[in-house]
Amino acid sequence: MALNYGMNLILGCCGCCSAFRPRYKRLVDSIFPVYPQDGLVKSNMEKLTFYSLSSPEKLDRIGEYLYQRAAREIYRKKYGFVIIAMEAMDQLLLACHAPTLNLFVESFLKMVQKLLESTEPDLQILATQSFVKFANIEEDTPSYHRRYDFFVSKFSAMCHSGDTKDVRDKIRTAGIKGLQAVVRKTVSDDLVENIWEPVHMDKIVPSLLFNMQDSSFHKEPPHGDTIPEDSVDPPMLAETCMRELVGRASFGHIRAVLKPVLRHFDLHKSWVPNEFAIHTFRIIMFSIQAQYSYTVVETLMDHLDENAKSSPTIRTSIAEVLSKIIAIAAGESVGPSVLEIINSLLNHLRDSVKNGTIQAEERQYQEALINALGEFANHLPDYQKIEIMMFIMSKIPFPLVDNQTPADNMLQSILLKSLLKVGTKYQTIHFNTTFPVSFLEPLLRMSLAPDPEMRLLVQKIFHTLLDRHGNLEKLHKPTLNIVDSDLNVEKSSRPDLIFINKHGPTIYDALYTSLQMDSNTPDNIEAIYTTLGLLCVELASTETVIDLLQLLLGIQNLALNSTTLSYAQKFNLHALVISLLVLISDVMNIQSLSDYSSRLIEARREEASYCLPEMLTQYPAHCESISKMPHLLVDQMAVCEYLKASGIDPSRLAQTSPYGAGGPGAIAGSQRHSWMEAGARGSIMEIPSVHEVDSAASSPGVTRKLPEEGLSFESMKKVLSEPPEIRKESEAEKRKQISHTFRTATFSELVRLTQPKHDLLQNKLNEIFKSLTTAESSSTTDDPKKLSKCEESFPELFYY
Amino acid sequence: MDDYKFLFKVVLVGNAGVGKTCLVRRFTQGLFPPGQGATIGVDFMIKTVEVGNEKVKLQIWDTAGQERFRSITQSYYRSAHALILVYDISCQPTFDCLPDWLREIEEYASSKVLRVLVGNKIDRDDREIPTQVGEEFAERHNMYFLETSAKESDNVERLFMQIAEDLMKQARMTNVPRYDPNNYNVDPASQDSGCCSRLN
Repeated sequence: MALNYGMNLILGCCGCCSAFRPRYKRLVDSIFPVYPQDGLVKSNMEKLTFYSLSSPEKLDRIGEYLYQRAAREIYRKKYGFVIIAMEAMDQLLLACHAPTLNLFVESFLKMVQKLLESTEPDLQILATQSFVKFANIEEDTPSYHRRYDFFVSKFSAMCHSGDTKDVRDKIRTAGIKGLQAVVRKTVSDDLVENIWEPVHMDKIVPSLLFNMQDSSFHKEPPHGDTIPEDSVDPPMLAETCMRELVGRASFGHIRAVLKPVLRHFDLHKSWVPNEFAIHTFRIIMFSIQAQYSYTVVETLMDHLDENAKSSPTIRTSIAEVLSKIIAIAAGESVGPSVLEIINSLLNHLRDSVKNGTIQAEERQYQEALINALGEFANHLPDYQKIEIMMFIMSKIPFPLVDNQTPADNMLQSILLKSLLKVGTKYQTIHFNTTFPVSFLEPLLRMSLAPDPEMRLLVQKIFHTLLDRHGNLEKLHKPTLNIVDSDLNVEKSSRPDLIFINKHGPTIYDALYTSLQMDSNTPDNIEAIYTTLGLLCVELASTETVIDLLQLLLGIQNLALNSTTLSYAQKFNLHALVISLLVLISDVMNIQSLSDYSSRLIEARREEASYCLPEMLTQYPAHCESISKMPHLLVDQMAVCEYLKASGIDPSRLAQTSPYGAGGPGAIAGSQRHSWMEAGARGSIMEIPSVHEVDSAASSPGVTRKLPEEGLSFESMKKVLSEPPEIRKESEAEKRKQISHTFRTATFSELVRLTQPKHDLLQNKLNEIFKSLTTAESSSTTDDPKKLSKCEESFPELFYY
Repeated sequence: MDDYKFLFKVVLVGNAGVGKTCLVRRFTQGLFPPGQGATIGVDFMIKTVEVGNEKVKLQIWDTAGQERFRSITQSYYRSAHALILVYDISCQPTFDCLPDWLREIEEYASSKVLRVLVGNKIDRDDREIPTQVGEEFAERHNMYFLETSAKESDNVERLFMQIAEDLMKQARMTNVPRYDPNNYNVDPASQDSGCCSRLN
């Protein structure tokens, strides 16, 4: 064989006669000792190095010859000589410089490959070491035709070595180092092989992950904080290599890395349990160039899409991974990518809801998604949180009618939950930034949803957004001893007061309306107490107090007069009123009012303790309405007196409350014309009055004037001939329609709807004023007249 | 020992436990390792054979049959010149999976890849797949067919030699002068154009 081989040498025709051999061959031969265990002959090696430096044109031949000698020794299994040949090549490689190096490198790599092809672990490891050395030197001329796929393939195979424990770890370590070297060598130069091709990445990435997952990744690093570069622990090394790889990936290459990662987790079933997946993705997130980090989130989300058919547990796990890493991405996300991520999360939620199955796992999945959303929002700057809340709001399906499918309902409540999650992460500073009109309006509209659960959620959203001073806990439940809870009150700022002046009526009105819902549970009413309490604490001013007291009286009226609410609900309302009264007098520090409320409480305790908190769903049968005991009620006149005594002008309060029975007259004399102009008043007036009609309609003996009921003979006949059920049905239908309109129509629509009526009314009033000889117009005395006049002209506007 | 004219990449695929590693060991090292554990990921062996006075180097990539390594094993199909699809003649399920494997090959391997169907373990008495069934399947899918026994060394040598010959014939016919990375066909390592092409 050796002879046969010698024939192929370029110059040598006589392999045995050293005298006629060329000088470089003699030099190469001289570096090999007689016995391999003696090691490289150092002095001769120096000669060889000097020779190749002085005549670099011979370098390629030296390389070729060394390679052939090594190949021969491998064949003869004389590995000692092979090691020496490799060592010599390493030294030459490091000693020599370009430009001749290029040719030498070819034989060098051939040699490395040759060693890697052998089955001997030691040679494979040696070859890897040499390859690493090679990867570390700088070549000034790229070699376009050099290919690395054998190395990638082989090193990846080595990463999966299944030898006995000791050898296995060595080979795996070598494999990882080899891969690391290939990456280092190729990644910086675009002209050489593109390491990011899937053909390579599909080998490199799973190999690294395979080693990483094999590890005790959850354990602390064995010694200290830094991992030594030459650590023999394959998992550690693989992790380092992974970090490096991800860190070098540019935008276009991220997906090439992530795809095999996801596939690996799919195939190795690493999603459940997901510790390793979380660990890996954390590594990726921390190593990736920050500006690309959202791509990881996106990719993971796409993967969630692909797994739409998988079991909910897998999806939950993926979503959990997402929630664990999403925070890292949030810091770097800007502009459209943020909304894209949110949108995608919401879409997943929607899909999950659409699946319809209400399994525990599916719910967990939704929880995980909501958590991810919360985590993400948590790490965004505040101004983006508002944007996100508005975005989520816009995704909540309207209209909120009663005949929704359960899926719609569920989606709404889930989106509200997400909204709540985001809301809790938001720190309110100014209310006008927290509640832009485009956010406040839909939120208020949601607060009138037919589903009590949903209303509760909306109130909770209000709570978290309103509470700036950590009073939420203290105001969680209605209490009569608010003094003890040591509220944190701060003087409200001007912008806040402007805010409440502008939007207060709308807010109060929505709260009032939602108290009219007969599906309210004590939880709902308590939540409204908290909302009002927070409003009071956060926006304490004389203006607000009047509004709040006005609202309180309205609520009390509602509790007294409503025919739709149950007794329990009415008692709850009374309890709500009295606890709020206590709170207001405490916050505003009006001693007389405080004393008044204490007296009321005392009296109620004796005669009607059911009108105090705690709020119950069921009250004992003997409890009767306290309407017959006026001394237990909050008296409007009394409150006015106390306010006046403490220097607050109660004139607005003295007027008829805008809530409940109060007619437009209340506004006519109001100092706040702006309400009218803004049109806000219109909606405030209309919604309660609708409900007044409702209650009137259901109580017998009260004349009804529904618009379609003309007083013609036909209609009278109809009334008589038709069974009462039908009529009731049509009434119910009517009622539904009206309430539907007001719940679903946008604010501006409502304004449009109500505005002209007011104009007409205003015109009419003007006419009347003119026609009246008594020029001075006290609105209260004129009211009945005006109303009767108007009623003649516009019967459909006035039902009473 | 190194003056080979051709370099071919051969990849073995098939269910876990059909004897892929044993076939490779028998061919490259001439031994039958009893109690061979499951392959992890990919294993690599090399063997130089002589076909008609020409040296042919076979790079043999032995893949893991287990599902969980599918992602890494698939990445090796792409550059293969020949794919050996192995089943166990004494185990019906390994045969039933063949269509799945073919689908995978279609998806990941080059369209010109040489495909060989091998029924292994003919030394066993509890045969479940008659020779004819395997033959018909191979014919239907335009593959070579061979039944082997790694234990008894039946047909193992013949299998690889056949592949080497066929690939060489192919290489001579197409006569690709240089290695083309986009066309993973055959790879005649030309001696004069440097040595880099052999590194593939």
